[in-house]
Amino acid sequence: MTRRFTALAALAVVCAGVEVVAGRGMSPGVVWDVLNGGGDATERHILFQLRLPRLLVALGAGACLAVAGLVLQSALRNPLAGPEVTGVTPGAVLGAVTATALGLAGWDSPLAVVLAACAGGCAGAALLWLLAGRGRGDPAQTAVHGVLVSAVLGGITAMVLLVEPGELGSVVQWLVGTTEGRVWEHWHLLWPWALVWVVAAWLLAGPLTLLRCGDDIALAAGLAARRARTLALLCAVALTAGAVAAVGALGFVGLLVPHLAVAVFGADLRRSLPGAALVGAVVVCGADAAAQLSSRLLATALDSGRLTLPVGALTACLGAALLLVVVRRTPSRTF
Amino acid sequence: MPAAADRAAAGGERPSGGARRWQPPLVVVLLAVFSFCALSLGTPYVPPHRLVAAVLDGDTTLAGIVVTELRVPRLLLALVAGACLGAAGLVLQEALRNPLAVPEMLGVSSGAALGVAAPLVLSLSLPAAVQPLLAIGGAALGGGLTLLVAGLGRSPSAVLLTGAAVAAALQAALLVLMVMADQLDLQLIYRYLLGSLSARTWEDVTGLWPWLLVAVPALVLCAPVLSVLRLGDEDAEALGVRAQRARLAALAIAVVLIAPVTAVCGPVAWVGFLAPHLSRWFDPSAGAVRWLPWSAAWGAVVVVVADVPARLALAPVETPAGAWTALLGVPAGVALMRSGGRRRAVRRGPAAPAAAREPLPGPRKTASGAADEVPHASASNHLRRDDPGCGGPGDTSAPPLRTTSAEDVR
Repeated sequence: MTRRFTALAALAVVCAGVEVVAGRGMSPGVVWDVLNGGGDATERHILFQLRLPRLLVALGAGACLAVAGLVLQSALRNPLAGPEVTGVTPGAVLGAVTATALGLAGWDSPLAVVLAACAGGCAGAALLWLLAGRGRGDPAQTAVHGVLVSAVLGGITAMVLLVEPGELGSVVQWLVGTTEGRVWEHWHLLWPWALVWVVAAWLLAGPLTLLRCGDDIALAAGLAARRARTLALLCAVALTAGAVAAVGALGFVGLLVPHLAVAVFGADLRRSLPGAALVGAVVVCGADAAAQLSSRLLATALDSGRLTLPVGALTACLGAALLLVVVRRTPSRTF
Repeated sequence: MPAAADRAAAGGERPSGGARRWQPPLVVVLLAVFSFCALSLGTPYVPPHRLVAAVLDGDTTLAGIVVTELRVPRLLLALVAGACLGAAGLVLQEALRNPLAVPEMLGVSSGAALGVAAPLVLSLSLPAAVQPLLAIGGAALGGGLTLLVAGLGRSPSAVLLTGAAVAAALQAALLVLMVMADQLDLQLIYRYLLGSLSARTWEDVTGLWPWLLVAVPALVLCAPVLSVLRLGDEDAEALGVRAQRARLAALAIAVVLIAPVTAVCGPVAWVGFLAPHLSRWFDPSAGAVRWLPWSAAWGAVVVVVADVPARLALAPVETPAGAWTALLGVPAGVALMRSGGRRRAVRRGPAAPAAAREPLPGPRKTASGAADEVPHASASNHLRRDDPGCGGPGDTSAPPLRTTSAEDVR
């Protein structure tokens, strides 16, 4: 197990290294130069004010989303319950967009955005609960209802955006999820929130492992199942809201990274929860590095400077492919 | 009416008879009221009694120009688009025997939107006639990919989840295009993607006719096949319908119906979900042949109704009609689906208590077991993978235990 953690940590370091050198404008040699204390002012600015916060935000957001997904899947005992398909992410986007459009929150009051996203995420989850409350036994049904909830919330978001068209340009990046242009403010916004709730999730790891075994076993072991589940859901919504406020709705990370983590670290959450955080960080960071590299290559190939591939598009495509594999490989009886 | 009386005598379906009687007047009244609203409200306000005069005046007065050149084509477009989407939704739902198989869930809409938006962003100048073709290509790509990957209706939820994955991938491609676009293009694309009927002229309406000429005869031909498909794959094949081929044909018809509409006014979302459920709710005992025209009519009603608040709710700003249909359509459709299912179960209760939960359970189970001996070269592959309970999404209650126990072992 320790070896797996070490391997993943090494992978994370490699991804981070690639991410630092992948962007446009600076060659790897220059990066090395700057890290050794050389380079001119512009290069130092690029590395320390743009690339480093971007890297940290990507790592943090990935970890948040992955932990949120694992907590949700364990608490609801539903392998298809990611924040994207339980209405939490679209709700959080709606909350953040609404708060920004109403002028309640801007980048000068960053905590308000997070709180609004949190409230929106809770609303989205509540909507799903209203819609699919009775069919909770069937995972795929819940996921399908989650898509419906996302459609409704997306409609409301669209309304808000069209009333406030000035916000559209910056918000579209939010809708797809990107780490483009993330600076230290975003990181300072993300890490305290993420730290608090990741620790909360870590404290809940034991009860969640029991919840995974079913309510009967959890009750027999002396766990107040309902209270634990409510706390876990709150924790998951808060983590998702933090990630959404920082980088936007990164597609499918919260749905599929937990599956990877459970496959690597087993179903005991006390081990797989930190594992999921690590895997999530690696996946988002690696995807971001890949997106930067490919947009650099595409820009030279197609000779158009404004072409950038947002990382959310990459994770969504990757996640869609993985989801297809999961759906196909699961025996058809489960669906 | 004698047929209805027979059915009422056989199954005790009196409560639905009342709803069925109200359907035609309700559709007509709603259409009339909201058509007058669409034609007369707005700036300039043209009172209903002056509408005829305004139309006759033609382009001599301001009101005449506004009505004949802007409001009438818009109303016609809403009617045609709604009817197409409603009919397509019914075709898809019946062919896949899945009450949630709507264009949005199968990747059809996203594919069509991608086909239209791509040349807009990449600033390729294309003749207007090519646009529907691109939309058709995209829609066929999305829908075909979903059905192929999901194994052609393997089980309802698997198809929907696959569709969600395909739609998400297509959406991601769209969002890449949107991030690339500059601010002005972005407004245009965003509006288009939500489905808007604003500023459409007679040209857009006339562009739809050729496609309708193709689609309507195909619809008429395929309606009886749909009602046979409803019986289940084995029974349909016993009656001489090649189920998989019929399903692909249904998808093709749905694509031909949806893509031109999407090319003109964007994916007006969830009309294909709400309209068939409305027609079913009003007349639960009829078959696909009877539902098809009513589904088209309800689709037209839904789009016309949604277009009025879209135009007027936030007066100087036009909101997209697609956002309204999504907002109203999804909750209403889910509620209808729920109540419709409950009513059907209640009604079936006294007549056949054993079969109340699961439509066609017994014969299909045995049939799928015996099907391997039957020389169905093309279909046996599908049958072996097919689970016996793909009649509806409500019949998978026990299995989840299995996955979780597997996880525990791990």
